[in-house]
Amino acid sequence: MRAALASRTTPRWASHRAKGLGGLLLQRLFQAGLVAWMVGTLTFVLTRSLPGDMAYRIAAGRYGHDMVNTRAAEAVRAELALDQPALTAYIGWLWDLVQFDLGRSLVSGQPVVHELWHQLGHSLGLAAMAVLLSLLLGPPLGLIAGLKPNGWLDRVSEVAASVLRALPPFAVGLLLILIFSVSLGWLPAAGHGRTAHGVLPALTLALALAAISSRVARNAMADVSQSAYYAFSRTKGLGERLSFLRHGLRNAAVPVVAYLGVQFVYLIEGVVVVETLFAWPGIGHALVHAIVARDVPMIQGTALVMGLMFVALNTVVDLICHWLDPRRRSA
Amino acid sequence: MSTHLLLAEGIAIQGEGVTIAPFSYLLGPGDRLTLLGETGSGKSLIAQAIMGTLPKGLRAEGRLVIDGERFDAADNASRRALWGHRLALLPQEPWHALDPTMRAVHQVAESHRHVAGRGRRDAMYAAWADLGELGLAEAGTKLPGELSGGMAQRVAFAAASAGGAPIVIADEPTKGLDAPRRDAVVELLARTPEAAGALLTITHDIDVARRLGGEVVILRQGQVVERGPAQQVLTHPQSEYGQRLLAAEPSRWPRPQPLGEQQAPVVNADGLAKTRGGRELFRDLSLTVSPGEIVGVVGPSGCGKSTLGDMLLGITSSDAGHVQRATGHPLGFQKLYQDPPAAFSPHWRLSRLLDDLIRRHRLDRAKILPLMMRLGLDERLLTRRPGEISGGELQRFAILRVLLLEPCFLFADEPTSRLDPITQRQTLELLVELARERHCGVMLVSHDPALVERICDKRISLDGTSSLTGRELDTAMA
Amino acid sequence: MSTLTLHPARRRLPALNGRQRLGATLLALLLAFAWLVPWLFDADPARQQLTRILQLPSLAEPLGTDHLGRSLLARLAAAVQLSLGMALLSVTTAAVPGVLLGVIAGWRGGWLDRVLGSLADACLALPGLLLVLLLVAIAPGNFWALYVGISLVLWIEYFRVVRARTRVLVTSPQLEASRLLGFGPLYLFRRHLWPELAPQVLTLAAFGAASAILAMAALGFVSVGLRPPTAELGLMMIELLPYYHEAPWAMAQPIVVLFVLVLSLNLLAGRDPR
Repeated sequence: MRAALASRTTPRWASHRAKGLGGLLLQRLFQAGLVAWMVGTLTFVLTRSLPGDMAYRIAAGRYGHDMVNTRAAEAVRAELALDQPALTAYIGWLWDLVQFDLGRSLVSGQPVVHELWHQLGHSLGLAAMAVLLSLLLGPPLGLIAGLKPNGWLDRVSEVAASVLRALPPFAVGLLLILIFSVSLGWLPAAGHGRTAHGVLPALTLALALAAISSRVARNAMADVSQSAYYAFSRTKGLGERLSFLRHGLRNAAVPVVAYLGVQFVYLIEGVVVVETLFAWPGIGHALVHAIVARDVPMIQGTALVMGLMFVALNTVVDLICHWLDPRRRSA
Repeated sequence: MSTHLLLAEGIAIQGEGVTIAPFSYLLGPGDRLTLLGETGSGKSLIAQAIMGTLPKGLRAEGRLVIDGERFDAADNASRRALWGHRLALLPQEPWHALDPTMRAVHQVAESHRHVAGRGRRDAMYAAWADLGELGLAEAGTKLPGELSGGMAQRVAFAAASAGGAPIVIADEPTKGLDAPRRDAVVELLARTPEAAGALLTITHDIDVARRLGGEVVILRQGQVVERGPAQQVLTHPQSEYGQRLLAAEPSRWPRPQPLGEQQAPVVNADGLAKTRGGRELFRDLSLTVSPGEIVGVVGPSGCGKSTLGDMLLGITSSDAGHVQRATGHPLGFQKLYQDPPAAFSPHWRLSRLLDDLIRRHRLDRAKILPLMMRLGLDERLLTRRPGEISGGELQRFAILRVLLLEPCFLFADEPTSRLDPITQRQTLELLVELARERHCGVMLVSHDPALVERICDKRISLDGTSSLTGRELDTAMA
Repeated sequence: MSTLTLHPARRRLPALNGRQRLGATLLALLLAFAWLVPWLFDADPARQQLTRILQLPSLAEPLGTDHLGRSLLARLAAAVQLSLGMALLSVTTAAVPGVLLGVIAGWRGGWLDRVLGSLADACLALPGLLLVLLLVAIAPGNFWALYVGISLVLWIEYFRVVRARTRVLVTSPQLEASRLLGFGPLYLFRRHLWPELAPQVLTLAAFGAASAILAMAALGFVSVGLRPPTAELGLMMIELLPYYHEAPWAMAQPIVVLFVLVLSLNLLAGRDPR
């Protein structure tokens, strides 16, 4: 879902150049707080909107249909604070959240934090592989295409990127499964355990990310290669190679890295779909399952972790931009 | 070994609606050649043809001999090896020509290291020495965004000439600089011929051409109109265009009719003060503008000239003092802008915009045609959009638009600085004439002291550095 | 004395480049498909015929049938209608307040600008799909929850782009000149702001429509969006997935339609996303 609902305008947090590093980090911290509050509030509304027999259904899910009785349902009700007035319950809900007390899963009965810990590892592994792959594919292609705008490589990569951008990641994933697992039998389609299992989901995400980052890199490089300072670097005698290395790369890298922040929206969203498609036991998969099962504490936990992961990744992008672009440091 | 550094024979440029007629020149050690022409005369293309950096779609013809080596001008790539070593190009708008993410000293040092072939340490020493010599010792660790226009120009000069190229081409080196900085750049350029190099300068500024001396070539629409020694061409031009160009210099303009008797002022400002960004622009500034009077405002860029005018119009507030405007003219306070296209919405035909104005204020349509004729505006222009007519025509249309409201005060904020000299003269002469005739007070901002001295009844000088208080008004027409 | 005759200005059609024209053509074809099919073929997208499951395309069923014997032609047409309807609805709901608030914030500035800006930033704190997922969790399978979620995410872009542009334009000489000439805010908006904003808003609208369609399909695909038996592209894919071996042509259809739908909108937007 890389194209789905990702804001193409960089959020204000990611684009502040006049702010020092401290101010930048403070803003990210504020964003993290906002994420926690929004997730907490929305999940609270969710608990309040559960239909009356929900406690029974959840209890049935946890203890088995034979064991369901009023007491089990009451226990669930208490866990979700459904027996308290709304405001008290809301404050208690947020207070638990602040203390990172996420409760127990209504389905498995395990502490949510415990489950998240495992899932986070899987998701981070997948995301890291995807980002790495996309960085190997996208920006180098874009930089070369951008050196010769409207050359054949530029056109071919543009068509490829248009096609990939119009294909949702689940469709890309399906096609990859059909080609590599079903037809060729090279890679396993779903599951988890060996490295081979991670290749297709990571490639699915990476293709989607590379489709965009290659174009961003291409546009950035085209801008740079047509800029007055690039022309000046060449006419003052540095030659093509040195001009590219000394003045092209860094200037083109700034927008590419800054855009990574926006891309993480795609990544987080893609994780949800791709993990579900490939049955990858990560956070996105867990979130979808929790929504289907209406496992409120798990919904809250997974959404919170994904939201915070988004903030953390953006913070990393901020730091890299800060390091790359001296204009931000001296501002 | 020949005695010339650069010989160009029959250099012509063709393509995409551009034609530069063939012309030839010879530059030896110590020679200076200046190409003078207005925007659109194709003069920058000549520099690009020598360097081999013509944009796609344009083709150069002719022959170049550089240091005894022959080159076909059509083969763009052939001169690349000379860049930095034999040929140096000073870029237009040095601000944009410096890498925004690299500190100034490194941009000079890399030329020393990679073009002149010095060691890393030597290159840094040489770069610091260059900057020190140009009075930029403290600017070395700055990023281009933190440099002023004049400083950026000097850094670019140091970076371009570090390779020791004897042939220097300067493309509009004074674009966007005010008078004192312009003179400094001219001095900088003169170093090359003094060191037995050859200098080719491309400019629209007659004054720069005069100061540089040497040979001058006047270009118009891709044709050489006149050429010869600077003293001769720039004092007694033979060609009709050369004469007009020279006559367009403000110091040669005829003086306007005298103002006549003073009437009650249309604007009366008393004790104005403004501080912006922690810097005091002016304090205790008082002035009056009478009907039909032309008041000139001069001063370096950023000294608050536009702010002062906006205060008189009531667009900007002042920190202290007050402005008294003549009553009974709700729409009588109008403004002309520096960049004519910026003052119009580019999406509509001029007829539509004019129609809007007529309908909004129920104006008399009969007045329009005579006024257009007076301003030299063809009726057919109205079917075009603002971007589709020339800057001079659009500025005259702006005057038309403003005059329809019968203003009593007009703030003209550098209204002709983007126009070529001949159009500038036409436009300002018309403006002064109409202001006198219609009893409209004008405050004219300009960066050209000679112009203000010539046509203004009063002069206000806002000197941002030497004095913070507004000077008493001194009458220029002594 | 002759009075001046002002030539009436003709309204130009917006100039589309080749890529945009291709997008517009594809979109027109899809629209024709979605609305002509139910009119020409009397097929019910929900009618099951368990005796005729997974049939190859034939004259009676030009696109074959699915695993429950439903007409794929009718289902695809219904799904495209649903997707485009949702896209149009959420883009309109997002664009109108987004543009209006953007103009107000950019024009007025001050506290109003800060309040609206913070509101937009708050909506951006969470990745868009996460917000939609949480809203959908509250009301599962509900079209309106999906619609509200998508619109809530989409409006921010209009707001931010329009606000930034308005800020620049409001202080521009062209607006100042018209103000001095005595024109009011409505005129300034019509003649100065809107012509500048319109192309950007239209680009955002095309991208936004593509985003909305993809979001709905993605949610359907992971079974948290609309519920069966609704004919929805993502839902159709996941329903047909178990049969890809027996009926690859059936599986391919919703993918191809979704691809062409999103491609046409991306092409229509006319630019790379920046």
